[in-house]
Amino acid sequence: MPARIPRVTHTEAIVLSHRRLGDADRIVTFLTPHRGKVDAVAKGVLRPRSKLAGHLEPLTRVDVLLAHGRSLDIVTQAQMLDGWPGLHIDLDRLSSAMYLLEVTDRLTLDRGHGDDNLDAAPMYGLLNASLIRLARGDGTHLATRTFEMALLEISGFRPEWRHCVACDTPIDTARANWSSLAGGVVCPECQHIHPEAVAIAATVLKVLRVIQNGPYEEAARVRLNPELAAGLEAVMHALMRATTERALVSAQFISEARRAGVAAR
Amino acid sequence: MQDRPPSSSSSPIQRLIEAFNRLPGIGPKSAQRLAYYILRAPADEARDLSAALVEVKERVVLCSRCQDITDQDPCRICTDASRDPAVLCVIEEPLDLRAIERTNSFHGRFHVLHGVISPSDGIGPDDLKIAELLVRLNGPDQEVREVIVATNPNLEGEATAMYLARLLGPLGIKVSRLARGLPSGADLEYADDVTLGRALEFRQSVE
Repeated sequence: MPARIPRVTHTEAIVLSHRRLGDADRIVTFLTPHRGKVDAVAKGVLRPRSKLAGHLEPLTRVDVLLAHGRSLDIVTQAQMLDGWPGLHIDLDRLSSAMYLLEVTDRLTLDRGHGDDNLDAAPMYGLLNASLIRLARGDGTHLATRTFEMALLEISGFRPEWRHCVACDTPIDTARANWSSLAGGVVCPECQHIHPEAVAIAATVLKVLRVIQNGPYEEAARVRLNPELAAGLEAVMHALMRATTERALVSAQFISEARRAGVAAR
Repeated sequence: MQDRPPSSSSSPIQRLIEAFNRLPGIGPKSAQRLAYYILRAPADEARDLSAALVEVKERVVLCSRCQDITDQDPCRICTDASRDPAVLCVIEEPLDLRAIERTNSFHGRFHVLHGVISPSDGIGPDDLKIAELLVRLNGPDQEVREVIVATNPNLEGEATAMYLARLLGPLGIKVSRLARGLPSGADLEYADDVTLGRALEFRQSVE
């Protein structure tokens, strides 16, 4: 006899985004530990006296009750567990957090029918931990780069920083090229296979290896000067763009917010 | 006028139904009801509606200063000499301007951004009327001393407000945000932590 499908799910979730549905409703996209990405309708949240509205904003960790609908679930209860207030006091932290949400959304598949036991716990744990790091004021560059590297690994897109992606030859950091489309470093002999590969600075490559090897505390000991941080960001943003196959508006916003800050100083 | 409406397969009525159906919040049934209402209504009413539709597309433009929708450029608020030129309220949409005007509590001028920074919708700062705001503040509206950012109290509104605060910093203009707290008729039991926290933080003494 087939197992009975529960009519409601009680789960913890992080709100990734929402979009308007009709005059007063929203479709909210959650990342949950056991069902992956879930879209659910939040009814009446655009009304001023809605009891759910404040609990269902993006960048909120919630305890939520979802009633299973025919096409979309319905949010019946929501209680905020964490709003990461530290993110809302600094534009660099906030723009980085928005970037984390966008790439998580892009690299997570929508839950299909029968995927109720999907193990999204590693991705959920990673996003939660990274938002905590950003909120408490760890460097935005380090928190974001470690997140990107771990997210690519969890999603099955682990970049290769030690061996040539074409012939598996160990790569010397002093003379390395890399390709975002190939997802890693390319040796001089294989440059003809990946003509788009460009040079990568030795220090940038070394730090990428440290971040990939982990743990976070090890990577946190690396001192990132502005030039090195910019180099790491350029490589990882290009890699995320190639992996998600689209321009990431939040990545552009991080740069624009920083430029506005430079102008302000 | 016929006693019974013509068959819905006839072209003009079908076109009208389809036109109404394209409007936000109007489904096929509502579109049909509206179309048959127009059909039964006096000819003058239909002519007024059609003239209003044409006029709104032909005469209404964006005000070159505040970017609000208007039928005269600059708009009435921008040319109103009784308005305080030292205070500028930045809002997301033209409808927000009407809401603030209804309060009768604000007597400065406005600037409409026509959206907020929202990466999930693919909207960045360049897609908003931020460049026009900077042109105003550096040119014809140099007397502005305070910019009130009245974006919605959500993630996108907050990111837009913080971005504007950073951008306007070098101009020496005070940047403020609308207060955040509990709405009238709210229930503390259901308030989220952020709203309740802000309400406590910005509490006021009772006279």
